[in-house]
Amino acid sequence: MPPDPILEVKGLRVELSTRSGTVPVLDDLSFSIDAGETLAFVGESGCGKSMTALAVMGLVPHPIGRIASGSIRLAGEDLTRVPEKRMRAVRGNDVSMIFQEPMTALNPVYTAGEQIAESLRRHQDMGRRAAWEHAIEMLAAVGIPDPRGRASAYPHQMSGGQRQRVMIAMALACRPKVLIADEPTTALDVTVQAQIFELLKDLRRETGTALILITHDMGVVAEMAERMIVMYAGRKVEDGMVTDVIAEPKHPYTRGLISCVPHLAEVLTEERPDLTEVPGVVPPLTQFGRDMCLFSSRCPLADDKCWEERPPERRFGAGHVAACWHAEEVS
Amino acid sequence: MTPPLLSVKDLTVRFKVRGAAPFREAAYLTAVDGVTFDVARGESLGIVGESGSGKSTTALAIARLITHHSGEVRLDGEDLLALKGGDLRRARRKFQFIFQDPYSSLNPRRRAAEIVTEPLASIGLVPKGDRRKLVDDLFEAVGLRPEQQNLFPHQFSGGQRQRIGIARALAPNPALVICDEAVSALDVAVQAQILNLLRRLQRERGLTYLFISHDLGVVQHMCDRIAVMYMGKIVEFADRLSLFNSPLHPYTCALLSAVPSVDPDRRARTKRILITGEPPSPTSPPPGCRFASRCPVAEPRCKTEPPPLREVREGHRVACHLVGDDARAPV
Ligand SMILES: Nc1ncnc2c1ncn2[C@@H]1O[C@H](COP(=O)(O)OP(=O)(O)OP(=O)(O)O)[C@@H](O)[C@H]1O
Ligand SMILES: Nc1ncnc2c1ncn2[C@@H]1O[C@H](COP(=O)(O)OP(=O)(O)OP(=O)(O)O)[C@@H](O)[C@H]1O
Ligand code: SF4
Ligand SMILES: [Mg+2]
Ligand SMILES: [Mg+2]
Repeated sequence: MPPDPILEVKGLRVELSTRSGTVPVLDDLSFSIDAGETLAFVGESGCGKSMTALAVMGLVPHPIGRIASGSIRLAGEDLTRVPEKRMRAVRGNDVSMIFQEPMTALNPVYTAGEQIAESLRRHQDMGRRAAWEHAIEMLAAVGIPDPRGRASAYPHQMSGGQRQRVMIAMALACRPKVLIADEPTTALDVTVQAQIFELLKDLRRETGTALILITHDMGVVAEMAERMIVMYAGRKVEDGMVTDVIAEPKHPYTRGLISCVPHLAEVLTEERPDLTEVPGVVPPLTQFGRDMCLFSSRCPLADDKCWEERPPERRFGAGHVAACWHAEEVS
Repeated sequence: MTPPLLSVKDLTVRFKVRGAAPFREAAYLTAVDGVTFDVARGESLGIVGESGSGKSTTALAIARLITHHSGEVRLDGEDLLALKGGDLRRARRKFQFIFQDPYSSLNPRRRAAEIVTEPLASIGLVPKGDRRKLVDDLFEAVGLRPEQQNLFPHQFSGGQRQRIGIARALAPNPALVICDEAVSALDVAVQAQILNLLRRLQRERGLTYLFISHDLGVVQHMCDRIAVMYMGKIVEFADRLSLFNSPLHPYTCALLSAVPSVDPDRRARTKRILITGEPPSPTSPPPGCRFASRCPVAEPRCKTEPPPLREVREGHRVACHLVGDDARAPV
């Protein structure tokens, strides 16, 4: 019998009210993650990856956004129903997040060390001195050179990658049950990235932290995650084991994503053909929620049915799910 | 030979920072240390390297957005670092930035269309009537929808905001575009479109790029020559084929070996050169090679003697004691 998932999201619908009406930025999203597991989210910009993270954190932008239906269970407790006071305790303690844009998430008037220490004191009941020392240890753990000296640097005095590592140190400090990392290493060089990933793997092993990794780097997905979810226009279009999805994508969008990456060539030649593109753009928010496949306008396989009816999630082998009318023709 | 568009000589940038406890006296951090390179017209020069190695600082100093300590920067033969007032403003229009963190560089109270034309308004390059058309074209070129022209930055997703930044940089038709992690926040589908777009614009308009990125696959695809930086210094400089097919500096080798790959066979084949140990404090760099403390093949002299950057093969320069005249990589 598999263990109960630590986090289970069911039928989640998040609506935004825009000038042209209410639209679902997350439309019937379900997924779950076990303790110690890493689940990657990939997908087009604006497809709702960060919104998924914000929903789990209880930070859906207010008042324009709201959770319209569905549940988010953390160790059984439905976070969509708890009062804000309880949510504040959950945030940063049970669930924490590394935000996509460190500059907006760090407080410019406090030093790096102060911000980490403050979070430790609030969530872990540590004394001032102990928290400061632990903050320095965390900065060292994420590979900040001269951590004792840099602890008293302000965010603007740090390089982009150093700020990102401060964010990571802050999120890891409280050993959360679920860690959401929204593009955690895009600002880092790959050697530091490798180091951070080792750190995340250690954390996973030691504390059973479940990791939700939002990234656009397929290499990172392949290296870090067991399972992946591909999102498009607020919907889950594919879900499965990383090896299955990469070897045999069942959704045309997933296939496009894999083929448009400039992979590092093993032997480089003079030739530099243009990259494969997924032509066109994501549909505007106003079209989210329509009863059709929202990828139709960009899909090489689209036919009338695709334009008229939303494809249901269908199963292909163990745990491999895709929502496409023509999934059989994709790989 | 035509003169280079951009020529940087012995550029050095220092920051005054607070020293480490317990003394806390002021210390200096040399973020960029004697950097020298040329960029030819129509070329793409890549800068890669450790996070915090001074890539952004180099770019900012070239653009005079921060003050340098010493050195010379010539754009089109003109000594940029000596220019003042109107001359400086005139020279500045020749180069534009696409930033790493789009959010903090976009004015939150301006609509997207205004943001894109901001650099035009201040230099009056395009008559008002034509601006409308230009904005339409730029929005289309970067894959944004016309109706999004009237939205504010917070109403866009991270990737969409990056496109606004790119449109803004292209608006005044600059000669040199400095891309600092310009595509790192984009999902791969948009990234492929933008990279193809940047290369097309380069062919059509003869643009020159200074391209800073952590994504080595992207750098390999985009750049003609590449500079590798470590702690404020260029440690290797070569054309694309030479750098990727036969990297020489141990840091470069480690960097290339750390790139995550989607190909499981390749992952099994490549030997990871893990960089261990802490990077030295940037406020008191070691006397010898700055990579010595973490280098897998360092010898005693590496710790005391700084290796000069010297040419070991045509167009391939490297700063490592262990690379002999036979131009073989020591790792
Ligand atoms: N505060 C807001 N007001 C209006 N629309 C918003 C707001 N926040 C998000 N959106 C919209 O909701 C959708 C989902 O955004 P989200 O940030 O989740 O995208 P994402 O998948 O994280 O994209 P990216 O890869 O670019 O970060 C986008 O279309 C975005 O424009
Ligand atoms: N305003 C500042 N005051 C003090 N130190 C600074 C300042 N700006 C940058 N630094 C330091 O200078 C060094 C180089 O920073 P820079 O931003 O150029 O790095 P980078 O190579 O662009 O890194 P990344 O890849 O992380 O963006 C870093 O050690 C950084 O902490
Ligand atoms: S359902 Fe139709 S339009 Fe949608 S991805 Fe599948 S084939 Fe393409
Ligand atoms: Mg996002
Ligand atoms: Mg930088």
